[in-house]
Amino acid sequence: MLLVDLVQSIVDGLLFGATYALIGIGFTLVFGVMHKINMAYAAASIGGAYAALRIITLIAGPAWASLLIAALAGGLFGLLIYWLCFRFIPLSNSLATLMSTVGMFLLAEEIIVHATDGMPQNFPVVVRGILDIGEFMIRGDLVFVFVCALLAMVVLLYLLYRTKLGMATRAVSQQPIAAQLVGIRLSHINALTFIVTGMLGGFAGALIGSAVGLLSPLLVVPLTIKGLIVTVIGGLGSIPGAIIAGLLVGMAENVFQYFRGVTERDIYVMLLLFVFLVFRPGGIFSSTARRD
Amino acid sequence: MDFYLGLLQIMGVHTLLGLSAYVVLQTGQITLAQAGFMAIGAYAAAMLTVLAGWPLVVALVAGALVAGLMACLVGFPALRVHGLMLVVATIAFTEIVRLFFFNFDYQIARGSLQVGPLGGEGFRQIRYFPENGWTTMHVAVFIWIVVALVMAALWWMDRSRAGVVLRAVGEDEIAAQSCGINLTAVKVSAMTAGGAIAGLAGGIYAHYTTHIEQTNFTILVATFAIAYPILGGLSSVFGTLAAVVFIQGFLVEGLRFLGDWRNLLFGALIVLVMNVRPSGLLDARTTAMLRRLLGRKEG
Amino acid sequence: MTIIRLFAASAVMAGLAMASSAPTTAQEREIKLSGFGAMSGVVRSFGVNSKAALEAAADEINKAGGVKLGDGAKGKIVIEYFDDRCNAEEGISVTRRIASSPALVGIGPTCSNVAEPLFGILQKKAGDAGDSGLQFPIFTDVAIKGGLAQISEWAFRNVPNEGAMYASLFQWLKKTRPELKSLFGGVEEDFAHSRATWYAVMKEVAGKEGFEIKGEAKWLLADTNFTNQAREARRAAADIVAISAHPFTTCGMLKEMARQGVKPKLVIGLTSSSSLETLQGCAGEAEAIIIPTSFAPVTPEAQAAANNAAKFNGSLDLHSGAAYEIVAILKNVIESEGVLAKPDTVQADREKIRKGLAKLTETKGLMGVSKRTPDREAVKPFLFVHAKAGKWEVLHNPMN
Repeated sequence: MLLVDLVQSIVDGLLFGATYALIGIGFTLVFGVMHKINMAYAAASIGGAYAALRIITLIAGPAWASLLIAALAGGLFGLLIYWLCFRFIPLSNSLATLMSTVGMFLLAEEIIVHATDGMPQNFPVVVRGILDIGEFMIRGDLVFVFVCALLAMVVLLYLLYRTKLGMATRAVSQQPIAAQLVGIRLSHINALTFIVTGMLGGFAGALIGSAVGLLSPLLVVPLTIKGLIVTVIGGLGSIPGAIIAGLLVGMAENVFQYFRGVTERDIYVMLLLFVFLVFRPGGIFSSTARRD
Repeated sequence: MDFYLGLLQIMGVHTLLGLSAYVVLQTGQITLAQAGFMAIGAYAAAMLTVLAGWPLVVALVAGALVAGLMACLVGFPALRVHGLMLVVATIAFTEIVRLFFFNFDYQIARGSLQVGPLGGEGFRQIRYFPENGWTTMHVAVFIWIVVALVMAALWWMDRSRAGVVLRAVGEDEIAAQSCGINLTAVKVSAMTAGGAIAGLAGGIYAHYTTHIEQTNFTILVATFAIAYPILGGLSSVFGTLAAVVFIQGFLVEGLRFLGDWRNLLFGALIVLVMNVRPSGLLDARTTAMLRRLLGRKEG
Repeated sequence: MTIIRLFAASAVMAGLAMASSAPTTAQEREIKLSGFGAMSGVVRSFGVNSKAALEAAADEINKAGGVKLGDGAKGKIVIEYFDDRCNAEEGISVTRRIASSPALVGIGPTCSNVAEPLFGILQKKAGDAGDSGLQFPIFTDVAIKGGLAQISEWAFRNVPNEGAMYASLFQWLKKTRPELKSLFGGVEEDFAHSRATWYAVMKEVAGKEGFEIKGEAKWLLADTNFTNQAREARRAAADIVAISAHPFTTCGMLKEMARQGVKPKLVIGLTSSSSLETLQGCAGEAEAIIIPTSFAPVTPEAQAAANNAAKFNGSLDLHSGAAYEIVAILKNVIESEGVLAKPDTVQADREKIRKGLAKLTETKGLMGVSKRTPDREAVKPFLFVHAKAGKWEVLHNPMN
């Protein structure tokens, strides 16, 4: 019986990790292109979910529409963050952009709190259904999240490697000055990157809201931390790395909780991060070497 | 009057916290570990005064030393990571320290009461100040003497060769190495100094709030710790002081009349300041200008 | 530029200090009562509701003729509310600010993690010359962590006594639902209130009443994954599941239990969760949950107070209801102790209020008479509510 519980724990953890994978993809993309930390990413993503919830409630729309609306809202917020936190600050000043995104994060959280008085909001379930495989239960909605993460990866990799926009993005990421010299408009590309990652973030936020069943300001900080950990373990800028790292972190979390209880769980997750930092600082899929 | 003295106390401790990050930020290491060192200093100093009956100053120094030692140990592995990875590693460190204290029980019987840290419940009744008749004025003066000493030490260091070496490492590590600067020594020393100052801040914090628990030492606190020197400007210790006065004096207390809007303005003003003055309130140009205004007579 | 900013900040603060003392007529003096609590973050609703309750209660008293002062003059209650952002340092700073003003009492805080450090800076024993702690009475409406008022003789609380409430609930369940024999718990480990209420109250009391305690599942206040915990509940197969957690994780656990098909015969909740929050988050999954509470609009006073608070943009629940009661209690103490509310009698008035509050053995509340204990806590009347179709309805009133 204990083995069944352990396997179920692992499976549940992997499934939950899909949500971390989805948010991690956005974090790693922003870092991969701009080499800047966007501390407000998770806040904007959850903000997108809140906006979608408000609109869906207003127009009494179907649950699946919340995903679309959240993506649109997320894209808008992404552009806003780019304009307010990155556009006018010199690119070499990483401390200033870090702090401006922190300010943005605080602002986003307060807006959410003011709009909802801090109270948890019920979020409509987009996909329901439990799959029963023998002794084990698999949450259908989390499988859906995982499939979405894979789809997002395919779409983004296609965008990055098969379109002109993607080529420009990679050019900017590798050699910003040379890219400008060939006529690529830096601010244009950066804004587009933020919009695309913002859309992904909003989509992720809505899916997470649907999986958790609730939206609350309490979601934001843990997601930010998990997103950063997943980005580092997966390798900065690597999308497949983010997915695998997300699943790994989700699984590790649940397994540590199963063995050592809830108060020590996060200590071990952090120690796992340290193990990666010591033995594999580039992450699971270190991106190709870049000029420092 | 009591209120202004209390505000001075808070500003003093936050200045120490900001200075602890200032030292480390100068070497180009973005650290969110200061809250962890603060926690170590807080619990250590409080345990020494409450459980072992040590006098305050000795306990504070001991707390700072323990935190500094921990920082030294953290400094070595921190050398291997840069940029975002260092940020995440220091976030993880702060979380580990916080979770450690969440699980940490050490109580001894004092008469009919049990005193000491009790995991999630926290460490209550750290009443050194009221039990020894320290008034708000005494505490405020004491805190600012400590702050002044630390600021003086850092200001003097800024003016000496050590300061130049620190900034050189922060500007360009490769160039600094080629000048013969020992990167390891510089970065670890900066981390140690930062940790010790944060431990000192934590020890004082424990005594003037009388109750500490793991939720007092979160990543948000660590973010404030680096916010002060970044907002204030890394060119001068007075920048950190200015940022503390701006945030704690103006944003937190001064804007109370705005009621609900105060919290919204908080984040918005930080974004605004970073856009308008990306190098901080007191960047290198402003510092030079102030020095000229205050009549530095250059021979 | 920073020097100018410093001047500006000081000027603003000085100006505010002066502006806060408004002129009054000769016959009517101002009785300043300052409230404080969290108006930011997840706990924002507590501060918002407490503020509304205080303002509504003051308005009611002022409209009914105000308060009679020691020298026969009439007093008008003025409420000022400060946001402490659920932060210990800020709570202490706000209290010092209030104590530096002519306010006679501080009403708050809403967060237990602010209350504990705050009570610690107060003078421990009133009149102890060797203790330099703050001498200012604090009357708490919401912060509910057990045993805090004993930290200082200047600290008083009007919060429900959960021990009595859950004891009564389990006794009543034993009588009316004898088929319920076993209990499984769910507890938020990192929230002092939830943790204490499970281990020291629910578990203890249910055990004493003869329920078999099958264990507990644990989680943290921001957790979103309850798969392990719901499975533990399923394995325990207890008749009752008692969840000692706040609305966010209560809802999360209930949703996961629904997903895994864990259907206990009864679900019991934490007192704090008998508010609008739980219904906003998971009205469907929370159907039929039973919670003991110290407020429901079932008496005429409670109904009137609830309507009153709504006018000031707040809702009345067991937390803000306590704030409403506090204003009335203070009115009685002010009148019985002959408080003068003159600008030069502030500290003397505070001492009188402290003495008056310490003397009380019972107070009149919105639900009936509350008893006051020697360690400055309250034992309030309570009843049991359950969630029905998205609303809280009274299930049983032990006072009848």
